[in-house]
Amino acid sequence: MGTIVLNQVRKSFGGHEVIKGADIRIEDGQFAVFVGPSGCGKSTLLRMIAGLEDISGGEFLLDGKVMNDVSPEQRNIAMVFQSYALYPHMTVAENIGFSLDLKKTPKAEIKRRVGEIAERLQLTPYLNRKPSALSGGQRQRVAIGRAIIKEPSVILFDEPLSNLDAALRVQMRAELQELHRSTGATIIYVTHDQVEAMTLADQIVVLKDGQVMQTNDPIGLYKEPENTFVAQFIGSPKMNLFPAKVESVAGDVVRIRTDAGWPIDLPAIEGLRAGPVQLGIRPESLTLAAPHEPAEIETRTVLSERLGMETYISFETGGEPGIARVPGDHSLPSGTPIRLAVDPSACHIFDNDGRAIRSQSA
Amino acid sequence: MLVLPSAILLFAFVLYPSGVAIYTSMTNLSLTGPAALNPRFIGFDNYTKLFSDHTFWRSLVITFWFVLFSAIIGQLVLGLLSAILLKRQFALRPFFNAIILMPNAVPGVVAALMWSSMLASGEYGTLNKIVAWFGVDPQRWLVTFPLSMIIVVNIWRGIGFAMILMNSGLSAISEELYEAARMDGATTWQAFRKITLPLLVPTIFLYLLVSTVTTIAIFALIYALTRGGPAGATEIVGIYIYNQSFGSYQLGYGSAIAVVLLIFSLIIGTFYVRALKVEV
Amino acid sequence: MALSKTSTKAEAGRYGVLIVLSIYCLMPFVWLLVAAFDTNAGLFLETPDSVSLNNFYRVFAEEDGLRWLINSLIVCGGATLIVMLLSGFGGYALSRTNAWWKRPFLYSIILIRVIPPPALIVPLYQVMLALNNGMRWLVLQVVPREHMRDVMQIVGFIDGYLGLILLLATMHLPLALWIMKTYFDSVSPEYEEAAVMDGATFGQRLRRVLLPLAMPGLAASGLFAFIACWDDFLVPLTFVSSPELRMLPIGIFSAFLRANEIDYGLLAAIAIVYTAPAIIAFVLARRFLVQTFGGGLKG
Repeated sequence: MGTIVLNQVRKSFGGHEVIKGADIRIEDGQFAVFVGPSGCGKSTLLRMIAGLEDISGGEFLLDGKVMNDVSPEQRNIAMVFQSYALYPHMTVAENIGFSLDLKKTPKAEIKRRVGEIAERLQLTPYLNRKPSALSGGQRQRVAIGRAIIKEPSVILFDEPLSNLDAALRVQMRAELQELHRSTGATIIYVTHDQVEAMTLADQIVVLKDGQVMQTNDPIGLYKEPENTFVAQFIGSPKMNLFPAKVESVAGDVVRIRTDAGWPIDLPAIEGLRAGPVQLGIRPESLTLAAPHEPAEIETRTVLSERLGMETYISFETGGEPGIARVPGDHSLPSGTPIRLAVDPSACHIFDNDGRAIRSQSA
Repeated sequence: MLVLPSAILLFAFVLYPSGVAIYTSMTNLSLTGPAALNPRFIGFDNYTKLFSDHTFWRSLVITFWFVLFSAIIGQLVLGLLSAILLKRQFALRPFFNAIILMPNAVPGVVAALMWSSMLASGEYGTLNKIVAWFGVDPQRWLVTFPLSMIIVVNIWRGIGFAMILMNSGLSAISEELYEAARMDGATTWQAFRKITLPLLVPTIFLYLLVSTVTTIAIFALIYALTRGGPAGATEIVGIYIYNQSFGSYQLGYGSAIAVVLLIFSLIIGTFYVRALKVEV
Repeated sequence: MALSKTSTKAEAGRYGVLIVLSIYCLMPFVWLLVAAFDTNAGLFLETPDSVSLNNFYRVFAEEDGLRWLINSLIVCGGATLIVMLLSGFGGYALSRTNAWWKRPFLYSIILIRVIPPPALIVPLYQVMLALNNGMRWLVLQVVPREHMRDVMQIVGFIDGYLGLILLLATMHLPLALWIMKTYFDSVSPEYEEAAVMDGATFGQRLRRVLLPLAMPGLAASGLFAFIACWDDFLVPLTFVSSPELRMLPIGIFSAFLRANEIDYGLLAAIAIVYTAPAIIAFVLARRFLVQTFGGGLKG
């Protein structure tokens, strides 16, 4: 069992508060990812769950029991460190079996269980090697082996893939999902990479400056960001935000005009009143319009990045350039006039404080 | 040839004298008497005499205890202890650091002078005043426990150096390893025994080599404090050579001891060469 | 970043041990510092009746303190300069060359370093005596007999500056060569190649490129050589007998052995004069300590 609840958890170093009252609930067996820019407090939060940092305020409950003052080894939580922290003077087998050895488990029992783990992680040929003789991916697997031999109810990962090259990262992501399936343990995984978060997580916790910005499953976050931070953090290239005004609300249609002068009609949203707002449009919700088709945005290109199967087009908005991600290859020299059509159902409205305005039904 | 001047000096003052030592050790050269003018070649007589001379064996045993207790045990343990206690940042750290390093900077003769006051006999001696608080009667420290006191003084002088080396060894061990060990359920003691000690082995080995070499070579400290006495109780082999050669004027005999010491040093030296992993 | 919640018991233990260690380390200094300023100091630690700089005044006015200090400075300074010069060139050559003698030479340096000086003192005495006789003969050829003594004090090998300086320099040369060799190993030859490309002559390369690059290494080897020479007791004890050449450690030692009443205040004052440069050099050398003795650990 590994249900994790954080109630108004706080952390300060000296007088500086780095976690400002986090409320998080992670169900047993979930794969949860803490994501956010560096310095957002995600690693600190993880280390507090591990017991490596003490908790300045609030409560951390594991399966309903308060864990604040329980020492790390008694929490039944394992952790995989960013640099793996493999003991350099021990062999792979000794590294994996270290926690059992500390508990004075009989040698034969250790050998058997290390053997099983090594089998599962395809480490059997390397059991007698020192970590320095292993590749990055193998070291990663040893670190995982060291974590799962304790049969923990929760496994914590602190940016475990950041030291690997791109190809290996994709492979390790698949292995981590397989690991999650086979152990059934709750996993909390910290990363600054939103792609990693999206591909791995059942549940994503987006953090910024020590505060939880939003918690949801990946698609929920993508489709219904609750604020401009989450909206721009999830998705690549990041969501365009145009300063705009609500011009009129007529029946079930709202007309919004961006400061650049583009009129956009959206389905009516409850509680939306005339006044300044921010209009969020994902680059992939913009399409190049053919000359006879209607198009909301008429502008010029600033730059186009051609990736072959798709093209990222930066365009003038009067302020920071907007970006559109359109399928196919388009050769558009800087300054070319273009027309872009907006998918009204994929637009997001935020108030001036950055909070999403959205119908309850949506 | 930029190395030539160095090579010439080293030859003149180290290699050639070593050869002279071997030759002299086979003569009955002396500073006084007829042998001073016309030394005779006497082959291995000095060595046979040496190996049956109990004062020589005593001097080797004293050297062994002196190195073992002052350098290997005392300085290492206290240096490691200080390095561990001073690992974490705290307000008074630089202060303690400086204090522990201070004895290291004091020349041997001055150290001897300072300790002759510390260890002075009679009820006004500093150490006697200190032990009086614990109800111990005044002692004549350098007479009753000469070797132990020399060891105490030498430990005093060497903690700082051991601490610096151990500190550099400790700081090379990643903090994450200790966190991983805590997650694995290691107690502080287990983490020390299973993580810190094994990872410090290369540092400790290097330290033992350096300190063994420098401790055997100690001269000023002991000579100024006891001159090897009382009755040869603190005569480590370097002092013994000096006393035999310039005290008893037996240069040939002194050289034979020197050759034995040379050979022993070269054995340690070869370990040292390996430890430093000479790259070309 | 350990848990900040360390128990107060452990914290008290840490301070307890550190305080005991500090007392052990500091206690001997107390007497020295007190006695040096006490006009009527004895061997025992006691509160002085009157405090003055009188002891220091007497070191220089009544005793030969100034001479001892100058002798020590000349000998150690000279030896240090020679060490820096030779180790700078030698270390450079050892680092850049690939000649057959490189490995044997480096091995010899390390082996020489581990030889305890007392082991060589007897043959050194014989060698120095021979060199001294040779030098005396040489001096006699060019200098009139009445100036003989003065000249020999400078160029002699026994009771002469030259011998002391050369011997001390040689004793501490191996470590310095080793420091400079490892130091130059870490300085990329590309700097010199760049200077060659910029059209620098050998002299210019030496002065403008190599010397500035070598400064930290030279500072380290010079400091260690100075500290070791300053601390050395055996060499002046064995090779100096005339009072004109007496150096500080022997000055202290002889004052300590004085048959009639020992003047402890005076002794403490000389000791402080002698110790101060050592402590200054040690403070400067401290940051090089680990690199120098721990350098072999890498790789």
